[in-house]
Amino acid sequence: MVLNKSAGHHPQLTLSVLVRDDARFANFYAGANEELIQAVQKQWTLAGDPFLYIWGHPGSGRSHLLQAACHYADGLGHHSVYLPLRELVSYEPSVLEGLEKLPLVVLDDLDVIAGNEDWEIALFHLFNRIRDAEGHLLMAANVTPRGLAVALPDLASRLSGGVMYQLHSLQPEERALALVLRARRRGILLGEDVARFLVGRGPECMSGLADILDQLDQESLSQQRKLTIPFVKEVLGW
Amino acid sequence: MTALWEECLRSLEHELPTQQYNTWIRPLIASSRNQQLILSAPNRFVRDWVKDKYLQRIQEILSDLNGGRITHVDLVVGESQPMFRPPEPSRVVTPPPTAPVSAPSFAATRARAEDNLPEDDDFGAPVPSQPASSIIIPASAAAPAVAAAAAKNSNRREVQVEGGVKHRSFLNPAFTFKTFVEGKSNQLAHAAARQVAENAGGSYNPLFIYGGVGLGKTHLMHAVGNYLQSKNPNAKVLYVHSERFVQDMVKALQLNAINEFKRFYRGLDALLIDDIQFFAGKERSQEEFFHTFNALLEGGQQMILTCDRYPKEIHGLEERLKSRFGWGLTVGVEPPELETRVAILMKKAEQSNIHLPDDAAFFVAQRIRSNVRELEGALKRVIASAQFTGSEITLPFIKESLKDLLALQERQVSIDNIQRIVADYYKIKISDLSSKRRTRSVARPRQVAMALSKELTNHSLPEIGEAFGGRDHTTVLHACRKVKELQQTSADVAEDYKNLLRSLTT
Repeated sequence: MVLNKSAGHHPQLTLSVLVRDDARFANFYAGANEELIQAVQKQWTLAGDPFLYIWGHPGSGRSHLLQAACHYADGLGHHSVYLPLRELVSYEPSVLEGLEKLPLVVLDDLDVIAGNEDWEIALFHLFNRIRDAEGHLLMAANVTPRGLAVALPDLASRLSGGVMYQLHSLQPEERALALVLRARRRGILLGEDVARFLVGRGPECMSGLADILDQLDQESLSQQRKLTIPFVKEVLGW
Repeated sequence: MTALWEECLRSLEHELPTQQYNTWIRPLIASSRNQQLILSAPNRFVRDWVKDKYLQRIQEILSDLNGGRITHVDLVVGESQPMFRPPEPSRVVTPPPTAPVSAPSFAATRARAEDNLPEDDDFGAPVPSQPASSIIIPASAAAPAVAAAAAKNSNRREVQVEGGVKHRSFLNPAFTFKTFVEGKSNQLAHAAARQVAENAGGSYNPLFIYGGVGLGKTHLMHAVGNYLQSKNPNAKVLYVHSERFVQDMVKALQLNAINEFKRFYRGLDALLIDDIQFFAGKERSQEEFFHTFNALLEGGQQMILTCDRYPKEIHGLEERLKSRFGWGLTVGVEPPELETRVAILMKKAEQSNIHLPDDAAFFVAQRIRSNVRELEGALKRVIASAQFTGSEITLPFIKESLKDLLALQERQVSIDNIQRIVADYYKIKISDLSSKRRTRSVARPRQVAMALSKELTNHSLPEIGEAFGGRDHTTVLHACRKVKELQQTSADVAEDYKNLLRSLTT
């Protein structure tokens, strides 16, 4: 969905805060992130930490991972909310009020609110309320807490107090395997050679590759042709 | 009406994807008034979303269930449960979405409280029990909230107070004197907190603890509260963040329940308010807090307050409040020195049953200087990685686990960065630091910058000298000694050094 901000008290809400149904751990290619995935799943055990901070470069699969965390919590019977702050920052920080009632709050794109005084204070208070409610908070940004330009020291300190992990971007070979896995789950026959070709020529981020896969799948169905390198070249004009 | 809503919920649960249902529909709390169904959302955002996406469907389902009759639905922004008990309107409330489990038994709570007793048995006299007053929520009325609150692996402390009632203190049982690591930086605050625990409501009232973030102010505050409660399980101790106090007051005004609010807060044996700097600019809250403060002080009840700065320095706070904060004892906490940071890491590792070698603890403590919270975050990461890989914690293992954290830190604290920040702080040019000028206004900042470079970077004395206009290493050594000496004799230099250290390491 796309963001559609309209004036007035009741903007038409078309944000992508809904969790994608296919964004699950089962189709998340872990690569070098196995420890991180386990930490997210362990949040619900006594050994886990209720406050996790994940940082990863754009295209590293942050949004997929965070939404998978929501599905995972959901499977355990814990309600959750996923809020990409990049899409919410133009609203008031009161968006964060009352969220401590949910056992898991997932906030993405913390970098966009860093330096915004009202949002920083609201997040600091949410942090405290979640702590008092014994809830769980999963936060993510494109840099480490120290790298965020957070002005409120109280918030900066709390962000650093949780357990921090880097979400490592997949290497080209891993991206190819992840693409094969994704295709297989959707019933698409994609050879590893074709996947490597797509990774070599296509965008670096997995979401961009996934879009291309969808396009190829549709073309292959309508033209009744197999997904081969010549077919890919023809459809994509490479 | 709420039975109708329950049926509507069942339909929606079938119609909507689970995640949508859980995110938007489950948090709604239903009540009824004048044949109208009132759905309370946790915030305006959820309310607008539900209104936009689901309200029409909700009304259709309700109409179908109600034989075609139209049910009026009012979507409102709900309020969180205040600490005090407002007058009860006639409304039916569905249980909160959290799965209820039974509240911890009083015996279990008491047993945990006793774990918090300090090692020295003679420490502290029991605080006299106050009679249970009207602040208390009758068990029957409090039951749903208490059950929901006790969900999951709760370590909350709920205290049974006379007559089958419960009072929740919000104290963290892990924050005790026993788990607090004392060092030069927090010695005074620690001693003061112990004194207050021993003699609550005495001359150290209020106890005002101030200092930077993540230095243990909240820990000390909880330690006193836990101690008071362990000595007297019926003591009504309450820990609140200042924001919660403000929220409760606003709610009391909205609900016309300011008297209940006053009775609740003024009926406590000890009130612990964290981060009172967030009262700044909130005049009505300050007014109410002023009266609560006076009432508690007059009644001999203990107040403990924390703040990020000395009372007189809080902007936007009434003078009369600042003055009252100084009536008791005001103590500061400073960033812990290296030895204390090592001791904190060792203690935390011990609590997690982890063996942390000395060199590994020193390595982490040398690199993370700013605050204890960050130090703990780093240790938690190391422990999590060790558990994941089944590895022993060694120095190389720690370097690997914390490489992203440490790499960023080392990038940040460079000589260039120090020169930039010092020049900015003293309002001189960066080039002055490398120049031949020897006037006091330039020489002192240069010495401070050299001392900081020695403390915060791994550069050698000759390298530092080179970076400051090609000076000899003995000049750098002299600067380091001079700054150390001045920190003992000049409050200004000590303050400057502390401020610069803080801005370079946080």
